[in-house]
Amino acid sequence: MDKKELQKYAHNLMFELSNEELEALEGDFDVLKAQLDLLNKVDTTNVEPMVYPFVLETTYLRPDEADHLLTQEEALANAPQVKQGHFVVPKVVK
Amino acid sequence: MNYQMTIGIEIHMELNTKTKMFSGAPYHFKKEANTCTNEVDLALPGTLPCVNQMAVKKAIEACAALNLKIDPLVCFDRKNYYYSDLPKGYQITQQFHPIGRDGYLTIKDEGVSKKIRINRIHMEEDTAKQFHLHDETLIDFNRAGVPLIEIVSEPDMHTPREAALYVEKLRQIMTYIGVSDAKMEEGSMRCDINVSLARADSEELGVKVEIKNLNSIANIETALKYEYERQSELYDKGETITQDTRRFDEKSQTTVLMRHKEGSIDYKYFPEPNIFPIALKEDYIKEIIAKMDELPDVKLERYEKKMGLSAYDANTLLSDKELANFFDETMKLCDNAKLACNMLVSEIQGLLSKLGQSLCESKLSPGALAKIVKMVDAGEISSKQAKEVLSAAIDGADPSEFAQKMGLKQNSNEDEILKLVLEVLNENPQSISDFKNGKDRAMGYLVGQVMKKSKGQANPALASRLVKEELAKR
Amino acid sequence: MNIQESKNLGGAAFKNSYEKAQKYNEKLNAIVTFVEDEGCQNQQGLLANVPVAVKDNFSTKGVKTTACSNILANYQPVFDATAIKKLKEAGAKIFAKASMDELAMGGTNLTANIGPCHNPYDLKRISGGSSGGSAVLVASGVTPLALGSDTGDSVRKPAAYCGIVGTKPSYGRISRYGVIPYASSLDHVAYFTGNVYDAALALEVLAGRDDLDMTSSYEPVLNYSQLLDYDFSKLSFGVIDNVIEAMSNQKIKETFLKLIHDLEAKGAKVKHIHFDNDLLKALFPTYFIIANAEASANHSNLDGVRFGVREKGDSMEEIMINSRTKGFSSFIKKRFVVGSYSLFEENQERLFRKAQKVRRLVCESFNESLKDVDVLIAPASGQVAPLIQNEEKQDELTDEYLICENYMVFANFAGLPSITLPMGFVDDLPVGVNLSAKAFDEVTMFRCAKALEDVTGLKDLVKEDF
Repeated sequence: MDKKELQKYAHNLMFELSNEELEALEGDFDVLKAQLDLLNKVDTTNVEPMVYPFVLETTYLRPDEADHLLTQEEALANAPQVKQGHFVVPKVVK
Repeated sequence: MNYQMTIGIEIHMELNTKTKMFSGAPYHFKKEANTCTNEVDLALPGTLPCVNQMAVKKAIEACAALNLKIDPLVCFDRKNYYYSDLPKGYQITQQFHPIGRDGYLTIKDEGVSKKIRINRIHMEEDTAKQFHLHDETLIDFNRAGVPLIEIVSEPDMHTPREAALYVEKLRQIMTYIGVSDAKMEEGSMRCDINVSLARADSEELGVKVEIKNLNSIANIETALKYEYERQSELYDKGETITQDTRRFDEKSQTTVLMRHKEGSIDYKYFPEPNIFPIALKEDYIKEIIAKMDELPDVKLERYEKKMGLSAYDANTLLSDKELANFFDETMKLCDNAKLACNMLVSEIQGLLSKLGQSLCESKLSPGALAKIVKMVDAGEISSKQAKEVLSAAIDGADPSEFAQKMGLKQNSNEDEILKLVLEVLNENPQSISDFKNGKDRAMGYLVGQVMKKSKGQANPALASRLVKEELAKR
Repeated sequence: MNIQESKNLGGAAFKNSYEKAQKYNEKLNAIVTFVEDEGCQNQQGLLANVPVAVKDNFSTKGVKTTACSNILANYQPVFDATAIKKLKEAGAKIFAKASMDELAMGGTNLTANIGPCHNPYDLKRISGGSSGGSAVLVASGVTPLALGSDTGDSVRKPAAYCGIVGTKPSYGRISRYGVIPYASSLDHVAYFTGNVYDAALALEVLAGRDDLDMTSSYEPVLNYSQLLDYDFSKLSFGVIDNVIEAMSNQKIKETFLKLIHDLEAKGAKVKHIHFDNDLLKALFPTYFIIANAEASANHSNLDGVRFGVREKGDSMEEIMINSRTKGFSSFIKKRFVVGSYSLFEENQERLFRKAQKVRRLVCESFNESLKDVDVLIAPASGQVAPLIQNEEKQDELTDEYLICENYMVFANFAGLPSITLPMGFVDDLPVGVNLSAKAFDEVTMFRCAKALEDVTGLKDLVKEDF
């Protein structure tokens, strides 16, 4: 795995990696590879992936009743930039 | 060269629930920006999704209406991508286990029916709304998290008309069963169309082009007609079609290139860990389906076959859900479907359009209409008088009180009317001889005189019969 | 100071903790934000007037919540986490937001953006993490109760290094709503106390179904503090032998074996259990993949658009990239890349889904072993708290690292209640022992822990002279 590829992965997550970070990451992937060998020692034939710690069958669905709402002021309280009650970013080109 | 067009359609519909898909914040279209959100919709750190029961119910209804198999285990997945209108940086959707699979709907084109298969329906959440100004974009998160269903058709349509009919039919069904407002112009129903062209004799499909930004059914047809022209011209010239995403341009009535597709995006789908699978009980699903509003096709059949309405009348009622509902409510209280329908589609619509009101804005109730229908049916008032009563009922008057107050009632007493008929005949010997000499018009004049003498209250049918009988005797 | 002693101080308890915290914090560096006295909501509550510290990943309305990450340095929640609400409703008063590893992704507290947190037993040593700040505030006697979160062992490991009790109840016992996540399927709200009784009492306050967290449980909440009575002859402990075998520190091993011997002497049943060693060695890689994959998605909301620190940029994309590049430390970014890598379509089967399959086997294996014993038991760590300036980087592929330092994640995989408590001192530093019980059987876990606490006599340990 080269640095270019790793940087591509970083961009996929919306950040950049410095050269040092890329180098360190190369090392991390080597460790990951070794760890994978450990994982692969476990036979998982016919085993289903486990998404949750246990399957607690639930039937609960939230009733469609308004419970709580933020005021516009609260909604925008942490906004880095605000205009006319909206959050603002530089023009987004679709 | 002839080409075969193949069309598949993906439709996003906002479900008309009170609150969002995964949060208890209420949502209304047209509210002030960022006043319909809570911390979940803004994806503030630490917030968790909680599934809206009504959204699930409406998704089940949509599945049932379109004949899909419903998965009783509701599961959600994450679709990961970054965009300023997507607060969490992932959308919660149903990639691996859609709530419904393998359904269809039937479209009718000039009497010919065709089944369009539906691949899947899944639930997901809407994104925020963005307003693009000169050099900045404003974001309103009111719409973020509104429940959506995505309805994915099989590529079963082959003409622009079929595509338009499919979308129209879907819209009709979904509004009828109350799942969605399905307003394309307001964005509560959004269409993405995949279209490809191939030589008519070719086994393989052509290159898929996606068309977005279609905000009316008419535009769907226009856009597809244009695409046919555009792509067939390119093929004729021996050029290749690229796998593009295009958008419909309202001004030029054409499609324009948005972007070339460069491979498919990897959304890194994985099961949503914050929502355990929800097991829907069989009885729960059955009950929802049993209580569903009548589907438009079923309604149409009922109007025509059970109520004996003409195809024209039945379709007129059906074209407007409000009208059809009003009619159904009226018919719970009276029997004469033809008369009720007539009054609704001609008299009432005429009166309302003069007033510039819609049916639901007016004060007319199904109960009042039913009363008037019954009064006419029983011969208590004439159909001419009925117009007056209707007009008053639209202003909120009670039909029987109004008729009584205005002395509007129909006289169907044969003895009394016969008396009037005899008076009129005795007063108009000239008209009798005219009639005998073959002037049919004289008969109308005599009936008119009877009506006048009765101050308009004589039952016209009765008066006419008696005049005819008495004339024959002379 | 335990909870009762703190309650006895009434209104003065807050000031007492607050001032101590201010004094000690210069040396401990345990606190991100001090919280002013908001008064007691419930004078009759189980925690009336009790000062509580909470890890800085619990959303606190109007109080900065940074999760020790630069990207959240200015973030002030507009709502309280459910656990915070419950604390307040029980009369508790929050006086501090405690330091942690950045976004809870670490086990040392060295990655906090405010710098390392120091162990009161030796300031040159780490507190452990990721809930380090909360741990040292209890260990130094500042507060009788502090909230943390535990995704791998983030409460149970620092508890061991700091000589206190760290409790992680079953998955779903305490609502996660409002807690800035690490990995949703592994995250648990957990907490530190000075003794087992307080741990049981705190659960009575914190536990319970919350409709805002769909994974929260309907299991009835019991009066745990009233259910601590035990009879040694009815208790059974299953020793995880693999951990002992992989351990090189003889002193810790001896401390543990002596404890087991004492338990047996009191009449408790002890069973030695040997798990498939390959399965145990796969625990950490499994954890690493699942946790980082979930984390990479969980933190996609940190983009500088709606909250948090926004860096300049000429486009929406640039803003996101700059904010995330500057907002996360290198350590976090690397973890995200690894996690996201395992989710790509071409990798998911062999990485993420493979890990999820191993997770199932681990759960089956541990749940099976718990059919024969009340609790599983092993040292919480194979070492004493490491030095902050650790010259030698630990080899992450040795059995000792993979098993002794990471085995406790099994309780996160399976959502089992798990508790760490002190078992002795090695080189004047505390060492801990960990117990885990069947899912939702906190009663048994607390009972066994109480028995153990009575055997060691180690409770309410406070280290104030540092």
